[in-house]
Amino acid sequence: MTAPRLLTSYLRPHRPAVTALVVALLLATALPLMGPQLLRRFVDQAAAGRPLNLLVGTAALYLAVALGGQLVNVVATYFASRLAWTTTNQLREDLVEHILGLDLAFHGEHTPGELIERVDGDVTSLADFLARFLFQVLGSLLLLVGTVVLVLREDLRIGGALIAFLAVAGTMVVRFQQMTVPAATAEREATAQVMGNLEERLAGAEEIRALGAADHVLRRFQEVNATAYRANFAWEVQAGGLLVITNVMFALGTALMLVLGIVFLRNGAFTIGTVLLLFQYTTMVRRPLEQVIQQFKELQKAAAGAARVVQLFAIRPTIVEVADAVALPSAGALDVALERVTFAYPSDPDDAVLHEVSLSLDAGRSLGLVGRTGSGKSTIARLLLRLYESTEGGVRVGGVDLRSVQSASLRSRVQMVTQDVQLFAADLRDNLTLFAGGVDDGRMVSVLGDLGLGEWFASLPEGLDTVLGPGGSGVSAGEAQLLAFARVFLADPGLVILDEASSRLDPATEVLIDQAVDRMLAGRTAVVIAHRLSSLERVDDIAVLDHGRVVEHGPRSVLAADPDSRFGRLLRVARSGVAS
Amino acid sequence: MRAWRDGFSLAGYLPSRYVPGGAFWMLHHSSPILVGLVLKALFDRVSLGPSGADGALALVFVLVAVEVVRALVFYGALLLWPLWWHSMFALIRTNLLGSILKDRVPPSVRLPGSGAEAVGRFREDVADLVWFVDVWVDVCGGLLFTVVALVVMVRIDARITLVVLLPMIAVVVGTRLLSRRIRRYHEAFRAAGSSVSSLVGELFSNVLAVKVAGRESVAMGRLRSENSTRRANAVQAELTANLIPVCSEVAVELSIGLVLLLAAPSMRRGSFTVGDLALFTTYAAGLTGLPRWTGRMLARHREATVALGRMSRLLPEGSGSDGVVASQPVYLRSSPPPLPAPVRVPDDGLSSLSVRGLTSLHPASGRGVVDVDLDVVGGRFTVVTGAIGSGKTTVVRALLGLVPSSAGTVSWNGVVVEDAASFLVPPRVAYAGQVPRLFSASLDENIRLGWPADDDAMALALSLAALDADVGEFPDGLGTMVGPRGVRLSGGQLQRATAARALIRRPSLLVVDDLSSALDVETEGRLWDSLGRASGTTCLVVSHRRAALDRADHVVVLDRGRVAAAGDLAHLLRTSPEMRRLWREELVVEGEEAIGA
Repeated sequence: MTAPRLLTSYLRPHRPAVTALVVALLLATALPLMGPQLLRRFVDQAAAGRPLNLLVGTAALYLAVALGGQLVNVVATYFASRLAWTTTNQLREDLVEHILGLDLAFHGEHTPGELIERVDGDVTSLADFLARFLFQVLGSLLLLVGTVVLVLREDLRIGGALIAFLAVAGTMVVRFQQMTVPAATAEREATAQVMGNLEERLAGAEEIRALGAADHVLRRFQEVNATAYRANFAWEVQAGGLLVITNVMFALGTALMLVLGIVFLRNGAFTIGTVLLLFQYTTMVRRPLEQVIQQFKELQKAAAGAARVVQLFAIRPTIVEVADAVALPSAGALDVALERVTFAYPSDPDDAVLHEVSLSLDAGRSLGLVGRTGSGKSTIARLLLRLYESTEGGVRVGGVDLRSVQSASLRSRVQMVTQDVQLFAADLRDNLTLFAGGVDDGRMVSVLGDLGLGEWFASLPEGLDTVLGPGGSGVSAGEAQLLAFARVFLADPGLVILDEASSRLDPATEVLIDQAVDRMLAGRTAVVIAHRLSSLERVDDIAVLDHGRVVEHGPRSVLAADPDSRFGRLLRVARSGVAS
Repeated sequence: MRAWRDGFSLAGYLPSRYVPGGAFWMLHHSSPILVGLVLKALFDRVSLGPSGADGALALVFVLVAVEVVRALVFYGALLLWPLWWHSMFALIRTNLLGSILKDRVPPSVRLPGSGAEAVGRFREDVADLVWFVDVWVDVCGGLLFTVVALVVMVRIDARITLVVLLPMIAVVVGTRLLSRRIRRYHEAFRAAGSSVSSLVGELFSNVLAVKVAGRESVAMGRLRSENSTRRANAVQAELTANLIPVCSEVAVELSIGLVLLLAAPSMRRGSFTVGDLALFTTYAAGLTGLPRWTGRMLARHREATVALGRMSRLLPEGSGSDGVVASQPVYLRSSPPPLPAPVRVPDDGLSSLSVRGLTSLHPASGRGVVDVDLDVVGGRFTVVTGAIGSGKTTVVRALLGLVPSSAGTVSWNGVVVEDAASFLVPPRVAYAGQVPRLFSASLDENIRLGWPADDDAMALALSLAALDADVGEFPDGLGTMVGPRGVRLSGGQLQRATAARALIRRPSLLVVDDLSSALDVETEGRLWDSLGRASGTTCLVVSHRRAALDRADHVVVLDRGRVAAAGDLAHLLRTSPEMRRLWREELVVEGEEAIGA
């Protein structure tokens, strides 16, 4: 799909609104064009000494037409802006839905900021453009054509001269604008640098103070300002100069039409009213001409944005639900099996993160994954959630190969507590249910109480309606962890994946977390990426990972008792230090 | 009144530009007077019929000449103005930035919460104030035009002139009524817009949570409802904003229509000519200027007052708005003078730093540190340790004066430090913070930040910070552009660079907040060894690493904002349960690292 097709496909469902807009535009063009005609009639009537009531009638008509024109103008703006927002909102929603549906691997490669820029920046510039294009460009073009036609009607030669003038003026304005592009770009960049410099220095204000670098930074800021001034002045010299030439050019155009009109007047072909009419039409063409050129420049920008949006739509998710998808068992613990699983990121297919990993876990048992950062622990967790799909080998949960699982059943039966708890700027209720609704308030409160958050909950000013700040401010790291546990308990899954926070928690919270882990492991299958000794001592099995391979796997008690096992060594190192 | 007074001081900052530039703008605004007069003469000739044609043709050339002069006046105004305009922005921003970087109250207290909001003060608020002073020139130009135009018009026909004025008054009233509403709608639109953006931002940054819980469709429902709120607000805002130019145009059309109605009898008689009509229509368009600009000036006065208030809050409390517009050179057309080199005096060496009863609480959360005592002895290695949230970072930031403290003293070599933020700086103290920040500039500039250091000193700092190998791999070595607009450094590289930035200053006391994400255990150990042995630098380090704790002469354990224990490590492991707990956890992490090897 191309950018223009994208726009038309979003406009098509709104045909009635488009039609209304076009009608409003036609009216908004026709009425201003009538003004000079009426003025001519008035002047000629006065010159001919026609009856007063005729003159007053013309004047009244002029007034009515002029005010009517403004009214239609307002209505047309309204239609255009409504239509632009309706269509681009739809586009924005489709785009967000599309992005949310893309693989996690895609999200790993694109920062949220970049995606927001697509959805908000590109789509918004498209919306702005659409509103102005629909209204100003079409309106301006109609006005230009209308003026030319009306002048041609007076005299073909004069009309021809007007067309020639418009062609010359239009070409020159386009040329001028192209000439100023480098200076304008340099100006914008220099201005952006001033703000960028400021933003960074403000963010680093403490370091700057602490390093005693304030005067140096201020001096640099002065230099950036000076660069911005020079760039702006250079642009002003050029753009201002060209604007001045443009002004003179339009004055010459007006003079040309006046001279022609006066010559025709001398021959007796024109009345004084017609000379006035020519003068007025010539002054009327400047604004629409400049607007059309300006908006065509914007068109390029909007087209670039639209192209990026189209590109984004072209990316397809690879993890999709197959037609005959199977649901997981709806109750009870789920067993887990990884069969010779190899995984590599699509962006880096030669460098596998997991090599032929085979692990199995009976329903209701818990498995602790151990290994240094980057050994593949988190990848296994994400495979179990089908956020990634294995490159080779299969992942089975509850006996179902995840490639043929129903997404909804997977999401409700398999849950994860992540290391970084993602909290939304929303009330506690929505943060607990992740906006699902339909969960009994009493149940939420009791789950919070079970987790030891009762006291914390009681301290909240508005209970479940308390809004948690963005990034979860007002919630400590330990509380956030416990909230993540609460989410899982409310969902009651058959398999939980627990990626423990490596952050240090105070002893009281530590006890609460240990209790929460105990409850979590009871009656569920669990895969735990443990960072704490106490959690490692709770699981049934241990798998040690090294560079994407399982190098040790067995019941925890057996491995712990074996002095030569890696896990045994880990426990020894960890316990030894305390005695030393 | 404050905005007027501060505005005058801005206008007077660069009179050599504000006065002539302003005069050119006034000429530009009032030049339609001449155009109207020429058009009147021209159409009066035209209305004589064929006999007036020659005179009319000559006047066409006069018209062109007038337009050329107008264009040149306009160019003059365009070229005279930027120096004043940019000086204003540079002056106000330098004043604010200088105060944030140098005045006593820590920036964290004065800067608004979000970075975007802080930058907004420097962008919109500064612009609001400068625009207010800028529009004075337009008002003066409009006034000049209006007075002269009215004199000319009254002499042609006083009655019609009076009637033409009526719609202009309507413009004033209409614009005033609209401007408040436009502002309100625009704010609603902006608020709706930022709530859409933040929802989209949250969805994308929390995509893992959304996907794991399978909440894509619920999220879309929320987006749809916020999106439609924004649409309603946007359409309303755009419609009302469009009414301002429409208002002006309606006024012009009304004036012309009224002229036609009233002039009909006298035009039939010939006492009101076609030239008069041309003049009146030309002036009618110009007459909307004064009411529009006056309205804008009043609106901008309101905005400037608000902006001044907000900008004043960036300054230390109680200093008013004088500091915002205070005069100082801005160097837009010349280089700023070089800075004096830092001088070391004997007392910059450290024999002891002692902290007594330091209390610093975050006003919103109430968390922080209470009644902390801490001693750093010259030449020795001191470690502050504790669990996450125990207040380690707050202790060092408070003692350096980077966050306000409500009680306690800091003494340097036995003398109480009055203004820690200004005194505990290089060459006495250098600080490498926990959240590494580099600026968009070369790595060299980022590390030096104006500090005079030769290549050897730079090489030493790089090798101590274990950054030398990385620099060797960068495309342009130390000249490599880093920061948001340059090469993206890894988290570890960033933190090593901030360490190098502190080290190059050869401070008597080096304060480092947690290098664990920057250096592996071995490298961290090497750094502490070489710092201690090679340079005799005193170190105060926030760390939970064995590499630091093993080497520490003195360890301070914090627990929930208070000192839980202090002493050497062996002693603490025997006596402090909190120290034992921290030590055990560190061993699990380091044990896990060890089994993979």
